[in-house]
Amino acid sequence: MHWRHVFKVVGVLTITLAFTMVIPLLVGLFYRDMSVRPFLMAIAATLAGGIALYLAGRVDRSAFVSQREGMAIVALGWVVAGFFGALPFYFEGEFPTFVDALFESVSGFTTTGSSVLTNIEAVSKGLLLWRSLIQWLGGMGIIVLGIAILPFLGVGGMQLYKAEVPTPVPDKLQPRIRDTAMILWKVYALITVAQVIALWAGGMSLYDAVNHAMTTLPTGGFSTKNASVAQFDSLYFDLVISFFMILAGINFSLHYQLLRGQTLAFWRDSECRFFLGAVLVLTLVVSFDIWRSVYATMGEALRYGLFQVVSIVTTTGYATADYEQWPAMSQLILLLCMFLGASAGSTGGGMKCLRIMLCFKFCYKELFSLIHPRAVTHVKIAGKTVPDDVLRSVLGFLALYMGLFGFCTVLLAGLGVDMVTAFGAVAATLGNIGPGFGMVGPVENFAQIPYLGKWLLIWCMLLGRLEIYTLIIFLVPEFYRK
Amino acid sequence: MKVIIIGAGEVGFHIASHLARENKDVLVIDKNADALRRVSDNLDVQILQGSGSSPVVLEEAGLRSAEIMLAVTNSDEANLVACLVANIVSPATKKLARVRNADYDTYHETFREQAPNIETVINPDIEVVKTIHGMMKVPGAVDVGEFAEGRIKFVGIYLDEHSPFNQVKLMDLPGQLGGIRPLIAAIMRDEELIIPRGKDQFLAGDLVYFITASEQLEETLAVFGKQEAPLKSVLIIGGGRIGYRLAALLEDEPFTCKIIEKDPAKCDKLAGRLNKAVVLCGDGSDQNLLAEENVGDMDAVVTLTDDEETNILASLLTRRMGVRKCITRISKFSYFPLMTTIGIEQVVSPRLSAINSILQHVRRGKVLSAMSIKGEQAEIMEAVAMETSAIVAKPLRSVGVPKGALVAAIMRQEHIIIPSGETTIQPDDRIIIVARREVIPQVEKILAVKLEFF
Repeated sequence: MHWRHVFKVVGVLTITLAFTMVIPLLVGLFYRDMSVRPFLMAIAATLAGGIALYLAGRVDRSAFVSQREGMAIVALGWVVAGFFGALPFYFEGEFPTFVDALFESVSGFTTTGSSVLTNIEAVSKGLLLWRSLIQWLGGMGIIVLGIAILPFLGVGGMQLYKAEVPTPVPDKLQPRIRDTAMILWKVYALITVAQVIALWAGGMSLYDAVNHAMTTLPTGGFSTKNASVAQFDSLYFDLVISFFMILAGINFSLHYQLLRGQTLAFWRDSECRFFLGAVLVLTLVVSFDIWRSVYATMGEALRYGLFQVVSIVTTTGYATADYEQWPAMSQLILLLCMFLGASAGSTGGGMKCLRIMLCFKFCYKELFSLIHPRAVTHVKIAGKTVPDDVLRSVLGFLALYMGLFGFCTVLLAGLGVDMVTAFGAVAATLGNIGPGFGMVGPVENFAQIPYLGKWLLIWCMLLGRLEIYTLIIFLVPEFYRK
Repeated sequence: MKVIIIGAGEVGFHIASHLARENKDVLVIDKNADALRRVSDNLDVQILQGSGSSPVVLEEAGLRSAEIMLAVTNSDEANLVACLVANIVSPATKKLARVRNADYDTYHETFREQAPNIETVINPDIEVVKTIHGMMKVPGAVDVGEFAEGRIKFVGIYLDEHSPFNQVKLMDLPGQLGGIRPLIAAIMRDEELIIPRGKDQFLAGDLVYFITASEQLEETLAVFGKQEAPLKSVLIIGGGRIGYRLAALLEDEPFTCKIIEKDPAKCDKLAGRLNKAVVLCGDGSDQNLLAEENVGDMDAVVTLTDDEETNILASLLTRRMGVRKCITRISKFSYFPLMTTIGIEQVVSPRLSAINSILQHVRRGKVLSAMSIKGEQAEIMEAVAMETSAIVAKPLRSVGVPKGALVAAIMRQEHIIIPSGETTIQPDDRIIIVARREVIPQVEKILAVKLEFF
């Protein structure tokens, strides 16, 4: 294990992060609604931290980046980014304790969107932009961004890419990993700009449009308004945001194919069909359930049903309605959506449609072989056999995910949180969704969670974003053995 | 530039590794998922599982947009079929194939002109025999390469403790050498490649590479204390394809040649095809047989069996029995660094030969030949300076030759010029450049034709 190589890379990433802090600083100066000192302190501290890490490290020319180092770089990179990203929040004084600032920062980077802020609108515009910007950076991935813009990460980049990009089988769009990373970021930025224009054209202020686009595309869910998207109360905005949330929940390599002129790209991909089908069916079921019981007209039921289902299943976490007032069936469907998650290779969290599909197909194969004990069967996706090791790692992932979910729920309940809240909070943070149930529902926030509980949820968010393996590997003693 | 490589074996892997480091877009196709995993875990290239001779797979790989396709699987037939299919799918793509069967030898030209239109058929066996032959002609050297139709030699020698140049600085060298001026191109020291400057000094144990005109080779070797009597008798262990080729080549020259092969059927065949060479049936690592045949009095032993461990052992054994020079065939690249330590100086590898000859075809500009030196840390390239390339028509110091690269020699018509900072390269000069692996893309850039804006 070449720790010094790890430090070097993380150091460079941290220095890059310090430079991105200049953007909210400039915006803050433009709106003249915040003091400059906290941001300058944060930039100075981040730069100093980055340089210290850089100097502590050493690039070992001969050593190539193994899978282990890749995981260490990604895991450490995310922890360090979360820490330094919290500094502007902390120095600004909006958060009572450092753990609150850290919670907000990690919630941002991991694109969870859970907040501890009670009065968002009172916060300065510069700081709110930082809050949105870290979601945008975290969405496509800070490491993937690093691979795209820092040439020296090119060698061994595949190991880093595998450790950060949430998908069981990463596809390489281009022979060189740097080009792949660049394409993903370009597509991501392009769709973001499209959404800014769509929202702006509908009458949203440019500042709000930029912030909401930057938190929709990473399926983050931080809003600049206290009541989230509900505050605008506009059918047009609901539809535009729903549309872009769905786009963000689709594998970005499909967007790339679409932009390259393959018009049927979405249809040809079986996971994408599954995802869109699930959104459609669940929306109809929920809308039917809340029609008459909550909303008078079918139109209203469809509008709020669609937005809420899409918001949860893509793991964005915006709210236009308080779904805790909805009938039990709809609430449970939304809870299950938290586990389902978006497509592999998208910016969404959760378990991912692809894994659920593979799990179903695997179960069917097992049943089939009970009926035909001598049959030779394969699990196939789009006509191609899924290799056994991929299947095994998928099933292992699902088991770990459920196991961690149970474990963390019990721990959180042990800290004095009620059952529904514990369930909701862990599901929402592990799946990078945002709002949960009970005390942390769509109209409340995470400020009431006890001190230790916040630490626990911070880990849940990181575990969810890095798809468990990359982070949990650090708890395995074998990792440190020479 | 996009390059498609079919076959993720040792040759495919190493070519991919070379090209990926030079920022080319590489895609590797293989049927075997494990071999592909090794490629994707270690190299920044794209992979595709499937048969390289399937038109569907080739289409999927984007053959139409590829500039070069290399078919380097283990099977000659698979390589030829892949080229044939590729020729149908995308005739514009340049195709190179590795074909080892000697029966195809005389058809290489035909393959280029007709159906599969294979630009170059590479037979590593031929290249290896050429390399061995070159080494045998210069007995004192460890590594020999030829450039400019053999007029310039690129030679690597070990500096031992008794060498007069031990601890001599490079800048003091001309004083000690007198008339002849070999150019010290590179020094390998403890696995590290040094492109030397005036202040660097020689140390015992260095592998020193120099470039010299062929006529001055003997003199230069003598100065370094490496001149040795020419070899007269050779024992070849292993009568496979390469062993046979070498024996057949040596028959035409004043060599006494013996060849040992284990398999009686193969011996029978060899005896039928060879006229002067003595064919012996037996195990090359059998000490009795070797003693019986007076191996100690032979000048050189070349071990060429398919089993590299046997080759290594046989070389060590014969060396102990008093043979002056051993040339050992190795396939596994991971063994290369070990060889010096266990006392085997001269190593040949058909795979390395294949890689060398493929590399020169992939190079941009008018690169005539290329050779990669031990440990693959650097390459020597011979190229023609074109009128529009950046290297021409200004003094070398202002060309911007990257650090880690060295213009080692210039051939102008019949003259060989060892350049200095003031030398100006003229169009159609042939230049020999030594470059570290990292700077090869930059070297290619200064060699390539500049885009002309009119």
